Amino acid sequence: MITIEKLTKYYGSNRAVNNISFTINDNEILGFLGPNGAGKSTTMNMIAGYLPMTAGKVTIFGSDITKEPVAAKKNIGYLPEIPPVYPDMRVTEYLSFCAGLKRIKFSERKDEIARVMKLLKIEDVQHKLIKNLSKGYKQRVGFAQALLGNPKFLILDEPTVGLDPNQVIEVRNIIKDLKKDHSVIFSSHILSEVSAVCDRVVIINKGDIKAIDTIENLEKTLGGNLTLHIKVKGDRTKTSNIIELTEGVQEIISIDAEGNDFFSFAVKLKEGAGDDTKNAIMSELIKHNIQISEIFTEKPDLEAVFVDMINKSSDKHGLQDLLDELGPATESESSEETDTEDEKEDDK
Amino acid sequence: MFSIYKKELQSFFYTPFAYVMTALFMFLFTLMFNNALGNLEQPILQFTFPDIFYNVIFFFIFLIPILTMRTFADERKFGTEVLLMTSPVGVLQIILGKYLANITVFLFMIAGSAFFPIFTYLNGTLILNQLICAYIGFFAWGAMFIAVGMLVSSFTENSIIAAIIGEIIMFVFLFIDDFSRTDFIMQYPKLQSFLYAFAAQPRFAYFSQGFIRLSDLVFFASAIIICLSWNYIAIERRRWKRG
Repeated sequence: MITIEKLTKYYGSNRAVNNISFTINDNEILGFLGPNGAGKSTTMNMIAGYLPMTAGKVTIFGSDITKEPVAAKKNIGYLPEIPPVYPDMRVTEYLSFCAGLKRIKFSERKDEIARVMKLLKIEDVQHKLIKNLSKGYKQRVGFAQALLGNPKFLILDEPTVGLDPNQVIEVRNIIKDLKKDHSVIFSSHILSEVSAVCDRVVIINKGDIKAIDTIENLEKTLGGNLTLHIKVKGDRTKTSNIIELTEGVQEIISIDAEGNDFFSFAVKLKEGAGDDTKNAIMSELIKHNIQISEIFTEKPDLEAVFVDMINKSSDKHGLQDLLDELGPATESESSEETDTEDEKEDDK
Repeated sequence: MFSIYKKELQSFFYTPFAYVMTALFMFLFTLMFNNALGNLEQPILQFTFPDIFYNVIFFFIFLIPILTMRTFADERKFGTEVLLMTSPVGVLQIILGKYLANITVFLFMIAGSAFFPIFTYLNGTLILNQLICAYIGFFAWGAMFIAVGMLVSSFTENSIIAAIIGEIIMFVFLFIDDFSRTDFIMQYPKLQSFLYAFAAQPRFAYFSQGFIRLSDLVFFASAIIICLSWNYIAIERRRWKRG
């Protein structure tokens, strides 16, 4: 298990990440979602041990990343936002260098490199110089590097950026497969991607955690109401009357004529209403001899949930919160102090 | 550490870099060697390799920064620093791996220069003791400046700037010798001896005369250790200060 406790990062007096805590369970894919500039990469850099944190603690399978970096880093495979590849190396040379860095035994290196190349389908470019590869291939070479040595914890910073749609699906499937024996944290600013792959999501904006939950729960708690789509053949006014009178219907959002007496209705249901309302409408329509060619309920748009989350104004209005807003200057000073202290330790 | 060493060597030897550097070095050496041959006078017919080395040092100031300029600057430029820092390898091992790789290329260049003494040996007589001392001195000198060049490279992500700053520092080391012997500085003996202590060139002169003095070895060794430690601090410091 990976625990992140009260992680905070200041760049000068600029707060990039603010006091965030969450855990990543074994065999779990955690989505890390936020708009650009939300602090995703900073957080991931801190978890991977590249950037030191201003305050807080990251524990990776029991090893503190700052106190036992070597032990902690052995369990990490990290794919940063920009794939860390050397343009003048060939793919196999690069992977063999990375295998050495990760202290994979010499006898096992060849097999391990072959395994990750096969997994990411980069065997056909293995003898090419990395600088001659396309963005998608570079990305996959970077991903292959992260998988070398089969580390238990994978940090993937926007792994599908720059890939074509086919490759995106392939990479997603790889990530899903990894779930069997890995913990994965996976960042993205594309919601559909996260919902396709992840078990739980952490939504972050401007350094603050906005929500940590499963996708389903997020939909339930924030999504509000279902939308019912009905396509019928028959009289338009009669149908809309029936729909409006059914219990559980809030309003008809739209009616589109589709030729030959076909009409499509989009109906917003009341909170909590669902299949019962759908069945009631169906039986009423049949009773009135209106032919139904299509009827289905639609979950609230996840994208809307996400936008809602991000834009949700902070609910804090207490005195402490006001003080917090006034106080970053003093806070940053104290953070700089801890910085220099740690530096001294480092220098020793 | 070994994998970093190997990777650095690959980046020097799989590209024309190391060979071009060695060829340039050989070319400079050839010019000096020809000059020495051209100045031969009857009846002694004698020239000294240490003198040639002494002259080559001046040109070498341009070569060493070119060798070391990419060491850390390019890691930052390509974003590969993240890879090194997040792998289970300590910063010290990274620095040592890179340092040893640079030293290896330097040795390769020196090995190229062995052509000239061998040529002389085949056609005349060679004073071996003095030559070995000169080589040791030359190596110590180069090892020190490689450490300086690497340190400078860790300050910036632009390798050209790293090379230029490296050259400036090496020029200062070179000219501090003459400067410390100007009439003005001579008025202040303490200052003079202080400045003179930093001059690398007279130390090389001792080597070239066939002296291996402990104080010179200590000077070069401590300069190397200081630069590499500073390099370590600089890298860690930048991570902490970033942003």
